Amino acid sequence: MRKHRVAVDVGGTFTDVCVFDTDTASTTVAKVSSTPDNPMRAVLEGIRAANVDLSQVALFSHGTTVATNALITRRFPKAAMVTTRGFRDVLEIRNGTKSDLWDAYKDVGPPYIRRRDRYEVTERVNYVGDVVTPLDENEARQVARVLRRKGVETVAIGFINSYANAGHEQRMKEILAEELPGVSVSTSSEILPEIFEYDRFSTTVANTVLGPLVSGYVNELEGELSGGGYDGDLLLLHSGGGSMTPTMAQRYPVRLAASGIAAGAIAVRDLAERCGYGNAIGLDMGGTSTDISLVHNNEIRRTKEWHVEYGFPICFPSIEVLTIGAGGGSLAWLDEAGSLRNGPASAGADPGPACYQLGGKEPTNTDASLVLDRLGTELVGGAMSLDRTAAENAIAGQIAEPLGLELDEAASDVLQVANANMADAVRLISIRRGYDPRDFALVVFGGAGGLHGAALAKELSIPVVVVPRHPGITSAQGCLLVDIRHDLTTMFQAESSTAEVDELESEFGKLESDATERLRREGASESDMLLERSISMRYSGQWRSLTVPISSGPEALAEAVEQFHEQHEREYSFRRDDTPVELYQLLLRATGTTPKPSFPRRDKVEQDPPEPIAHRRTYFEECEGRVDTPVYDREQLVAGTRIPGPAVVEQLDSTTVIPPGTPAVIDEWLNIRIHVSEASR
Amino acid sequence: MSDTTTARAAAQGRELDPVTFEVLKNAFATSVDLMSEQILRTCYSFVIYARDFSSALCDAQGNTVMQGSQDLAAHVGTLHFQCKAVLEEFGSDINPGDVFAVNCPYMGGTHLNDVSFIRPIFADGELIAFAQNKGHWADIGGNVPGSFDVNATTHFSEGLRITPLRVWRGGELIADVAKLLVSNTRSPDISLGDLHAQAEATGVCEREMHRLVGKYGKHDVVEALQEVQDYVERIVRTRVAELPDGTWTTRDYIDFDPAHGEGLVPVQVRLTIAGDQVSYDLSGSAAAVASFLNAGYGTAFSGIIAGTKTFFPDVPLNSGFYNAIDVDIGPEGTVVNAGWPHAVTGFCSGPYEKIMNAGFELWSRIVPERAMACSYNLEYLLIGGHDARTAERDYFMWYDWMAGGWGGRSDRDGSGATSPIFGVGLAVQPLEGQERLNPVLTTAHELITDSAGPGRNRGGSGVRKGGTLTDCHKTVMSYCCDRARSVTWGIEGGLPSIPHGVWMNENTPEERFLGSVFAGVSVESGDTFGRPSAGGGGYGDPLERDPSQVLEDVVDGYVSVERAQRDYGVVVHAVDPEIDHYELDQAATELARDEIRRNRKAWLQADPEDVAARYRSGELSMLDLVRQYGVVVDWGTGELFPTTTRQFRKMLAHRTAQHWI
Repeated sequence: MRKHRVAVDVGGTFTDVCVFDTDTASTTVAKVSSTPDNPMRAVLEGIRAANVDLSQVALFSHGTTVATNALITRRFPKAAMVTTRGFRDVLEIRNGTKSDLWDAYKDVGPPYIRRRDRYEVTERVNYVGDVVTPLDENEARQVARVLRRKGVETVAIGFINSYANAGHEQRMKEILAEELPGVSVSTSSEILPEIFEYDRFSTTVANTVLGPLVSGYVNELEGELSGGGYDGDLLLLHSGGGSMTPTMAQRYPVRLAASGIAAGAIAVRDLAERCGYGNAIGLDMGGTSTDISLVHNNEIRRTKEWHVEYGFPICFPSIEVLTIGAGGGSLAWLDEAGSLRNGPASAGADPGPACYQLGGKEPTNTDASLVLDRLGTELVGGAMSLDRTAAENAIAGQIAEPLGLELDEAASDVLQVANANMADAVRLISIRRGYDPRDFALVVFGGAGGLHGAALAKELSIPVVVVPRHPGITSAQGCLLVDIRHDLTTMFQAESSTAEVDELESEFGKLESDATERLRREGASESDMLLERSISMRYSGQWRSLTVPISSGPEALAEAVEQFHEQHEREYSFRRDDTPVELYQLLLRATGTTPKPSFPRRDKVEQDPPEPIAHRRTYFEECEGRVDTPVYDREQLVAGTRIPGPAVVEQLDSTTVIPPGTPAVIDEWLNIRIHVSEASR
Repeated sequence: MSDTTTARAAAQGRELDPVTFEVLKNAFATSVDLMSEQILRTCYSFVIYARDFSSALCDAQGNTVMQGSQDLAAHVGTLHFQCKAVLEEFGSDINPGDVFAVNCPYMGGTHLNDVSFIRPIFADGELIAFAQNKGHWADIGGNVPGSFDVNATTHFSEGLRITPLRVWRGGELIADVAKLLVSNTRSPDISLGDLHAQAEATGVCEREMHRLVGKYGKHDVVEALQEVQDYVERIVRTRVAELPDGTWTTRDYIDFDPAHGEGLVPVQVRLTIAGDQVSYDLSGSAAAVASFLNAGYGTAFSGIIAGTKTFFPDVPLNSGFYNAIDVDIGPEGTVVNAGWPHAVTGFCSGPYEKIMNAGFELWSRIVPERAMACSYNLEYLLIGGHDARTAERDYFMWYDWMAGGWGGRSDRDGSGATSPIFGVGLAVQPLEGQERLNPVLTTAHELITDSAGPGRNRGGSGVRKGGTLTDCHKTVMSYCCDRARSVTWGIEGGLPSIPHGVWMNENTPEERFLGSVFAGVSVESGDTFGRPSAGGGGYGDPLERDPSQVLEDVVDGYVSVERAQRDYGVVVHAVDPEIDHYELDQAATELARDEIRRNRKAWLQADPEDVAARYRSGELSMLDLVRQYGVVVDWGTGELFPTTTRQFRKMLAHRTAQHWI
């Protein structure tokens, strides 16, 4: 019996290998440095470092940055695009906007496929899918021949209105297959059969340029794994928060574009659910940036509007992660008008915060935490010692002195500004969608999460903070928790009052048989399949649509419309019952459930904390000064331990701060729960 | 850090502690962005959806404290005027739960389509702030669909003018007033939807402000509203103090004034820096024109602010920014300060962009590392009529704007196919969406070869969009643009790009050039139309451009083999173009460049009548006239515009030829 589940999560700095032993229900972890040039190296090294015997592995899942990095560095194979005559530059015109409205020297990057490699053929279909001009097959063959002469390896086909009639794209694909055997081809109607040419083409082209690279990577990794004795499917985490097998990844490589950041959000949902919180905001705070995600009613918030680089939309549903430039290494600085600012510039890992003594002289959030003695000079495990004097000098010289503040006050101000910025970011992802942060738990992880979590929760009136047992590997654990999942869509434009319910049912039926077929190919059995329908609609005349779940049967549509009104009111604070509702698109989420590890649940025995490993005089702004603060070793905290703040909890990969008067409890999963709402002051 | 001393002095001038100040400053920004997020999601009009809107938080005196980070440039510097107009009108009769509407361009507004909704915010019974959302309604009545009537000379034919008006009282919609407003538009349902959405968006900002008052207290919030303005003013003055003192003057031009026949219409901008003070003077600009290409004082002010802001991209926008800049718009009655009742809806294509580009040129001399030549002109094409695809022949409005090329820059080419400088957030619409809603089949949406103004660093490429009317009934077309004659120019020796203007039934016996401004032209099913957006002007002498860059441009089709030789003196041979194989001919290039160098000043002196005749005979092209000879004609008939040509050549001598060695 194979007893191990292995998850490999590749991050910017580290590649984490997380091994879950089903016999002992224990997790072990190996961390190796990532190798962005060839990510496979770190993956294999990590597997070795974790002593994984692949013949003992029941399930292997993987969150990879290989697609993301390829899009960022633009290391693409020789790619071309074929499009409708007159529309060669849709890809370059985009929607014309820029990310920075005012900086005339900051441009959006060039298209993924250069103009010289974009070709036109005569053909045209209109908005209902009728052929206006037939595909000129001679031209199509001529283009194919030119592409062959040019040695093109991968081709995107994007025709106008192909979402309404895919015939010409299909025919073009057949011609390319005949003339260019072995070349990978993506059509826009297969990749994203949705209206709006630029969004569809952009997504298709991203898929096209990633194709050969992702295929190569996936095949190689699969080979390595099976060579080592693994006989299951390699499960690849995709942006939508599920996973897919190599077969699907090779067809839809663009779905891996946010693979690397999905795991954190999945971990948040799982942690929150186990703690009994259906609503949670996740905050993964590292050295240079913080990833914020949101779970509502046990569902991770997803979006269809995202990109790896501004101007290049990828319109597959993706977990919504808001990344802001605020982390432990973010710089505190005074602008020319004397305002205290924080980030987005960061000292990063090199030169790092002043206290690292690696050449950094500018004050960072880490330096401020050290000055206030929230962070210790010797981290548990002794991996690194921090230089307090260097931190003090940086804060004193750059902040305290110019502002005429005491050192402690200045350091505290630095952190308060950092927390306020993060709170604003959380407000943007919650309040602007109609969610009230007070209804959420805050799950904090990453190296710096525990230092800021409680203060941030206070700022946002969030009642409880959850700090997982291993904040540094929480993301990797998320990798162990995914199911196989596909998102399928089709356009369905009709008014809700006159829509043919039979037609709706039959369109969903087609999606479902397609989805079932995909899952079957991936080895999922019927009993493990879960098909969930939803439908997007909008008020007639409006441009933006909302998606709501829909069941089957004669009443399904009416129920969904009512739910649309309700959701519209929640998100946008008004509803218009008398306005016609337009149906827009049908969506199907197909899940093939995979067995999950079950984490051990400890018995909770209410008790006082163990003997502190140290005491420090730690500064808290709510006390306007320093107070005696016990420091605990996380390893010694057992389920049921009650810790009255102030306290500091140290462990190998992070430090957690519990503010004065705030009670914290170690729960049955060994998470620290800080009950901010029960603070005595 | 040399800023430390300044920073200390600045911080000590404040009452709020650094944390409260920074937190409230950022919270104000969030409250405004939340308002923008809301409107983007709830608006009905696709024009607003395409980001033609803005949001602001104003203080109790109406001064702008924070404006949305993604707002349209053309609304910058106008929102405080609209808020002050409400204060002026209603004085103490402003109460919690009220919402006011205003669009009056003679009270600092933009044009009639831009309707502002303004909600007062109270704390403990005291008025502390206003939340404002300004959005472009797709139609506000008047003579033509979309309310862009080029031929209007007064606002009476442009649409509904809304002086400050109460639309909600104490939280209750005044339904009869709302109905009056929307009934004066061609699409009352959409307008009513936007009216609700905009008013509700201001409510989001109000809730945030109440939260802040609850947390920080009224006193600190009100103090911060002022300190955030002082802060911005201080930043601007600090930066300006580091720049050299001096006075710089330039002119840009609107194509013509229908009341005076042909001849460019000058917009003059004078900029002075003295110590930490920036001053602008627009006097010397022409009298108001007899079309709708005039600006009210609000939009002239906005053009100045937006032009300046481009050189201080990271400074937040609020009244502190405006306080640091002294603006003299000049006497009323000019094209930049038209006054009641002159038509001003076309300000955006007319004086606004001229002021902004003129500003770019002036600042390019002061801050050369951010220099930029002229960018393409904002343009709107409107086709309104009845959709014969439906039995009811529903009313449709195809309302379209294009991306285009921005000017060449000091160290790089201009940005191609980019939203207008009028509002970089204004997104081009997807044509597949347009085709569902309108009986117009788009035949092309592509970059134009040779549209970029040549230069050492060329401009960005312009775009062509063409279409066929498929099934329409009683349909008319209008166009709001400019620069068919005052062609998008280069600087530092760079050349102009291409003229704007709409062509009907091109390459058929019925071909017509309709020009860059017209209204109410009848069109029928089967008619085709097309128009370019200009590229950006070039920066620096095109003969100094690295030939290998020109070669790359030829391979990508940004530049043709023919124009590579004529504009850049670079000779390229197509060896096997199918596989992108082109070769540079070094020797021929040197000869070609020498020849251009020897002759180009003389070309600019050539007899204009003779040049026009050669254009009519097909010997010379439009690009030859604009770039080599500096001659401007009616591009359809080839008729010479002598006065325009004289002015255009003078402009070229100043911006371009004087920099040639």
